[in-house]
Amino acid sequence: MIIGQKIKDLLRDTRWGDWCLITLYLSLVSGIIVGIHYDPAEPFYSTSAIDILVPYGRYFRSLHFYSSQFFFLSAILHYYGVFTKADSYPAKPYSALILTLPVALVLLFTGYVLRSDSTGFSAGMIAEHILEAIPLVGPTLNNLLFSISDHGLNRVYLHHVFSFDLLFLLLAWEHLRRYKVTFSRHLLFLGSVLFFSLLVAAPIDPEELGVFYITGPWFFLGLQELLRYLPPFLAGIVFPASLIIALIFLRRQNRSFRPILVFVFIWLGGYALLSVLALVAHH
Amino acid sequence: MKAINGRQPAGFTRRTVLFIGSLLLLYPFIRFINHRVPRKPKIVEVNGTLKANGYLAKDDFILFSGGDDIWAVSRTCTHLGCRLNYKEKETLLECPCHQSRFSTRGELLRGPAKKELAVFPVEQKGSPPIYYVTIL
Repeated sequence: MIIGQKIKDLLRDTRWGDWCLITLYLSLVSGIIVGIHYDPAEPFYSTSAIDILVPYGRYFRSLHFYSSQFFFLSAILHYYGVFTKADSYPAKPYSALILTLPVALVLLFTGYVLRSDSTGFSAGMIAEHILEAIPLVGPTLNNLLFSISDHGLNRVYLHHVFSFDLLFLLLAWEHLRRYKVTFSRHLLFLGSVLFFSLLVAAPIDPEELGVFYITGPWFFLGLQELLRYLPPFLAGIVFPASLIIALIFLRRQNRSFRPILVFVFIWLGGYALLSVLALVAHH
Repeated sequence: MKAINGRQPAGFTRRTVLFIGSLLLLYPFIRFINHRVPRKPKIVEVNGTLKANGYLAKDDFILFSGGDDIWAVSRTCTHLGCRLNYKEKETLLECPCHQSRFSTRGELLRGPAKKELAVFPVEQKGSPPIYYVTIL
């Protein structure tokens, strides 16, 4: 009980918002650096070349990868940490902030796709098929966002470095204007991320013979498993969208707060279970 | 139209004009992003020895030989597009994402995929042979 309370306090008291901003800036800067040598026409070759041939390339790719991962994780923890303090936020800016979460996730996801290794390639193809499965507007959306089969990674690259970032900044703009971060107050955290990236290389999975089971990125595992049982539109669009909508309406002043909270917990529990299944059940 | 008390009449506000203008712009935008330049058929040249009852795996297809016949089966899973691998012991193709299975002729053996695989035409020329696979 005491340990549980301590973890709860730690989650509430850590300045996740500051960490979130620091890793966002790190991710943006390291992304620009990695982009200097990345070529969407030769995605796997150029990613491998960054790792193997370009001086300090492995470090900068690792920094981009891990700062982006830390950014997303601290964004979730920031949401949890300030949840009780966010009651005064008006509905519109609050919804915009909730929508930054799926946009950040799409940015992470397109990063995986862009390296075009075996997991990245498969993740990209799956995303394309999910978009295509949306009634009426699916093919148009796919042509706008992915279209990997017809145009390679050009559009994914364009949106990863430009449109999705713009969308994220647009949604978070008011919030970012209101809160500033002083880097000098978080030197230990900043140093830890820089040092961690030096020690641990960003993953890359070249295609190997005899590999008959591949798993997507950690946040995609549950979805990958669900796609086994449900049609792409239900598993890939309706199911994730239901959580986002629930989070938008999950406000303590909302009359349906309790049932929505129960739904969110069931959703998260179900997703965790599906993710574990994806890891252990099909080898 | 005259403005009443400094306001535009409700039927034709600036917002309505903007909305209709955006809708009009939407049409060329959708036409633009949906345009597909017709793809040329891609012809892949395969150099390599294909043993009797053997196979050669490429990115887009696997070339099989059996008896006098040579054929190329797509490696794109019809479920969600992952790249299929060949299980030599079981003589079948399996998807690494959701384990759909197909025969070497592209027939569906196990879901979640629901359609069979594409089979591409193969042309053989010269000696030692060079195989030309046309991906449609």
